[in-house]
Amino acid sequence: MNNLWQYRVRNVFSVTIICLSFLIVGIFLSLSNNLQYTAQQISKNMVIVFFLKKDLSEKDRNTIGEKLKKSSEVIKTQFISSEQALGKFLEKFPELQGIVNNLKINPFPPSFETTLKEKILSSDETQSFIQSMQNMKGIDDVQFNKDWVERMQSLSRLAKAVGFFLGGILILASFFIISNVIKLSVFARKDEIGILRLVGATNTFIRIPFLLDGIIMGILGGMLSLFVLFLVIKLFPLYLGSSLGALNELINFRYLSLSQSISLIGAGAVIGFLGSFSSLAQFLKV
Amino acid sequence: MIELYHIWKQYQKPQWALSDITFRAERGDFCFITGPSGSGKTTLLKIIFREIFPTQGQIVINRRNILRVPDHKIYSLRRTMGIVFQDFRLLFHKRVFDNIAIVLQVLGIARKDIRRRVFNALRMVNLHHKMWEYPAHLSYGEQQRVAIARAVVNSPKIILADEPTGNLDPELAFEIMSLFKEINKKGATVIICTHDRELIRHFGHKIFFLYKGKLLRKETL
Ligand SMILES: Nc1ncnc2c1ncn2[C@@H]1O[C@H](COP(=O)(O)OP(=O)(O)O)[C@@H](O)[C@H]1O
Ligand SMILES: [Mg+2]
Repeated sequence: MNNLWQYRVRNVFSVTIICLSFLIVGIFLSLSNNLQYTAQQISKNMVIVFFLKKDLSEKDRNTIGEKLKKSSEVIKTQFISSEQALGKFLEKFPELQGIVNNLKINPFPPSFETTLKEKILSSDETQSFIQSMQNMKGIDDVQFNKDWVERMQSLSRLAKAVGFFLGGILILASFFIISNVIKLSVFARKDEIGILRLVGATNTFIRIPFLLDGIIMGILGGMLSLFVLFLVIKLFPLYLGSSLGALNELINFRYLSLSQSISLIGAGAVIGFLGSFSSLAQFLKV
Repeated sequence: MIELYHIWKQYQKPQWALSDITFRAERGDFCFITGPSGSGKTTLLKIIFREIFPTQGQIVINRRNILRVPDHKIYSLRRTMGIVFQDFRLLFHKRVFDNIAIVLQVLGIARKDIRRRVFNALRMVNLHHKMWEYPAHLSYGEQQRVAIARAVVNSPKIILADEPTGNLDPELAFEIMSLFKEINKKGATVIICTHDRELIRHFGHKIFFLYKGKLLRKETL
């Protein structure tokens, strides 16, 4: 511990490097968490929209409606007329009122909005149900959010992978930095280590203070990175303001889970331990 | 028992710091190694506590070939030894007390016992009043006595002392030798390098004469 204070400048340097490395991992982890969360939210409300042909007769429309209601896959189904669709759109994007008014015609087709049973979107039954509906007369197009779910999930995986890759490289770098920083303080005390060995100290006895230094540096770096990550997550939306609009929801960072935070700090401790362990080896001879 | 078999040591070609040294110190022996400066006394001691390796030869201490002990286990050999280094090797950023206590700390001895034993060891070398000083504030002779106290504090089975009285006045040197002799009487093997003939004449039991790295003769008085 004396050491930590004695060599504070270079220790602050190495803690900063560890912190930055973990910050990179943390940012990508948080991004990945958010995508994962969004994907989950979407798949909870499995809504399929069946768009109908504009000139569909009332009879054909009722046939489709009946079939949807009877299906065992469906929880709820609701008819949305062209006018209702337009109304919904204007509710969401009131600033586009002028453009829509200029269009003269209503561009929104009538549709059935159908909520399916949870999490069965990719199942065979659901697939064949959608298939059979698609072949029905009067249905123009089917839109459902399976693609979105999958896209989110793969983006989430990508973010995690990038995070671990970049983070891995940086963590390797911080391992070498800790190792070298500790090596400097070991070197400054190599006479003392030699004397300790000559009076019968075990290697473990000699190592412990240095290992503690390394572990403390690693933990400090890890904790600091969590704190900075917290600030980034809090301040990032403020900085961007509302300019992102709907995208805001997607880039909205989600803080790390407790187990992720603990793992990050734990990884810091492990790196500190290994870094200082490796730096001592050459001084424990003869 | 310390046995050396055909020990050769070369630091740089072509000189040999030690050539073909064979000797044996029995348990409870009180040995002197003497010889002019540069004759290889320090080298011989360093080989015995395995700070350096001989170029050739074998050393057996208590039936253990110490050249085969791996680095991470050598502490068990060192714990049986009390060593007074020619250059003292004190920790200058630590107080006298801590310099001596370290020998007991590495053994995991309780703090209270450490205090008592360090005090006793310092009293034996008549330096207990300097317990809380830093070595840098002590004279050479006093530093040497700290080194001696550190070597005897754990009542070791083997004492290796490299010119332990080199900086002491004759009376004090005599006292220190008596201290070693006392420990020797309790069963410890003692090997002392010195060129103080007066001391050898008075305390000598087994004497080894070194000259230019060769063992010239052994005398048992
Ligand atoms: N580390 C070393 N490197 C090279 N030569 C050394 C080293 N240590 C001692 N020597 C040489 O080995 C010889 C014996 O030295 P030493 O054992 O210190 O003798 P003594 O203790 O009897 O004065 C001397 O010639 C010395 O110069
Ligand atoms: Mg010498």
